[in-house]
Amino acid sequence: MTALPQSVGAATTRSPRRRARRPAGLPWILPALVVSVGILYYCIGYTAYISTLDWDGASPLQEFVGGANYLKMVKDPIFWQSLQHTVIFFVVSFALRVVLGFVFASLLHSRLYLRTFYKVLIFIPVVLATATVAPVFRLIYAPTGTLNQLLEAVGLGSLTQLWLSNGAFALFAVITIQVWQSTGVSFVLYYAAMGQIEPDIVEAARLDGAGDFRVLRSIVWPGVRGTTIALAILTAIDSLKTFDVPFLVTSGGPSFATEFLGTQIYRVSIAYAQVGYGGSLSIVLLVLALAAAILINVTARRRERLDV
Amino acid sequence: MRFSHLKRAAVAAVAGAVLVSLGLAGCSGGSTASAGSATKGTVNWWSWTPDNDLAGREIAEFNKQYPDIKVNYKKVPIDNYAALLRPALASNSGPDVFTVNASGSFSGQTFAAYAYDLTPDIKKLLGSDWKSKIAPTGVKAFTIKGRLVAAEWAKVGAGNMWINQELFTKYNVQVPKTYAEWKTACATFRANGLGCFAEGLSGTSGFIVDTMHSILDSVKPGLWSDLLAGKAKWTDPAVVQAYQLLANMQKDGILDEGGNGIMQYPDVNNSFLTGKVPMVQMGTWYQQYAATNSLEAAVKGAGVDPATTPKVTIIPIDFPDVAGKGNPPTLFTDPDAGQAVNAKSKNRAAAVTFALWLGNTKEGQQVVANNLDEFPTLNGVEVQFDKVTLVNPDAQSKPLAELTAKLKAATEVRSYGISAELSQALITAAQNVIGGKSASDQVAAIQTAATSGQ
Repeated sequence: MTALPQSVGAATTRSPRRRARRPAGLPWILPALVVSVGILYYCIGYTAYISTLDWDGASPLQEFVGGANYLKMVKDPIFWQSLQHTVIFFVVSFALRVVLGFVFASLLHSRLYLRTFYKVLIFIPVVLATATVAPVFRLIYAPTGTLNQLLEAVGLGSLTQLWLSNGAFALFAVITIQVWQSTGVSFVLYYAAMGQIEPDIVEAARLDGAGDFRVLRSIVWPGVRGTTIALAILTAIDSLKTFDVPFLVTSGGPSFATEFLGTQIYRVSIAYAQVGYGGSLSIVLLVLALAAAILINVTARRRERLDV
Repeated sequence: MRFSHLKRAAVAAVAGAVLVSLGLAGCSGGSTASAGSATKGTVNWWSWTPDNDLAGREIAEFNKQYPDIKVNYKKVPIDNYAALLRPALASNSGPDVFTVNASGSFSGQTFAAYAYDLTPDIKKLLGSDWKSKIAPTGVKAFTIKGRLVAAEWAKVGAGNMWINQELFTKYNVQVPKTYAEWKTACATFRANGLGCFAEGLSGTSGFIVDTMHSILDSVKPGLWSDLLAGKAKWTDPAVVQAYQLLANMQKDGILDEGGNGIMQYPDVNNSFLTGKVPMVQMGTWYQQYAATNSLEAAVKGAGVDPATTPKVTIIPIDFPDVAGKGNPPTLFTDPDAGQAVNAKSKNRAAAVTFALWLGNTKEGQQVVANNLDEFPTLNGVEVQFDKVTLVNPDAQSKPLAELTAKLKAATEVRSYGISAELSQALITAAQNVIGGKSASDQVAAIQTAATSGQ
């Protein structure tokens, strides 16, 4: 019997089997590809185009103005005020979310009665719609609202304030509402991350005489670093796109004291019908969000390398 | 060969993007609208005013004449109106009839591109001399580049105030006519644990602009009109004095503190109608709450049981002479609204029937007039107070009739010509002086906004 040439065997036995093993991936990712490429980047591109126009969003008349909207933004004191509020919002809300999320997660990892009930209680604000929460907080922070009534009831009447009428306090009110609504997320993330820490390490530390605070500081806290970084990125993006709470509670006031980029975009695009200018603010917001995410990631990796 | 998969993926991505773009373009394009029947069909009407119960009465009256046209009313909060209307009109499923204002962010001019020209239809209804049969200010406000983009529906006035008669009687407080009398009146209310004059400065609705207008009219009559016409500057010392007076009103216990953190609607409105506040500044539209049925609906809307809540007797009064110069109180007026028809409406003919009926027929204008929230603009239509059930006819009939007469005679412009930026600047200046900043520091920003808004 004449032996078949090796190449024939190789050609006819290898390719069909390989082709059969490797499934076609394109049909599976095509829907997501269409959504992300088609809709997301189309919208970004269209917004960038609008940002070069002087347009009210409804009229067929559109005037190309190039970079004039960006120049206007640089000279706009409200824009810089909005950025300042965003930075303050990020710093304060990040700190509070980390502290509260970490503390709640630590407590609920210990032996505590009704743990499930507390978990639900902490997470409920996350699932409440801001539109239903905002009017409640407006009543709480009203001049004769629940907060002032509570302060007077406990003998702290001297601390009562016109919370939403005073710029500084209004910003504080907006931040506390946002933190109240989002702490559930940081709690869940930290709770899950703490569950991933090897119990042997904790046991070994305890055998060495480490107390609770030492374990939390030296083992748990470094162990959840990834979660903290993720929270930093999420908080940065949340800070930049903050809209619903300041819009519904304070309308960006008083005197723009709680104005954020989101509320400013809404105001100039809708109330002022300056859609082009609103588009330029939107592009800047996108750039800032990307820059914040990259910066936080790079900083975190640099720290990791240093630790190693 | 090696890159065949990548090539295919790239081609698929581009094809996908093209498909989506075509789809989006298809979604955003306009469609040709058929007129449909003028006496049959479903009409979706969007507006920020009137309240649902008043709209129901107007629609019920309309259906007596046109039983086969079903009108669905959607009341949109005024602060969100422009934001919701814009994408709706850009789509193919927007309202058939939408109300527009004479000026501002949802004016006839702003949405003229989406509005059907009503000129031929109004000529058919009222004749070629139709302009002489309705208020001329409305014709001017709603005619954009020769097209009638909205049929004038009603006008409102502002500059007056409203008091809770029960509270004034209970505490034996006289209606104030001067700054000193107002201060005394408020001192009495505050001594009894109440506020006095409540005003909400938060939000974008800008009712504080009416208050500033009243104060400025007290300081220097006629200046407001000159400012809007560009004949005077907002840096005029009288404007500074007006803002200083606003600050003094808070300092002297007239204006309730905390105004920067509350909204005129719903906060001040709900507080006044449920009897918690003695005085507010609202315009002539507020007289609807002098009627029992409207007041009950409003109280219910505030989340309070009207059956167990004492009904407030609201009485209109003049804005006090706060500047002390003896200048008479003023009422200023604008065409409040017009009804526009969506050019893309699939029931355009029925929509035109409804839009024109509301503002240009005797029947439509009569029900509008008797609802009390708006003033008719069709000549020859008056409010029939004998057909309205007032909360307290003995106390309210005469003041309401006097208010109606004043509104009919009013000629000073309210806010026609104020751009959104100028309105915001006026509101921000008021918030700043309420917050303790200097009045003289505010006017430059107002002038800048007035100039750029033009």
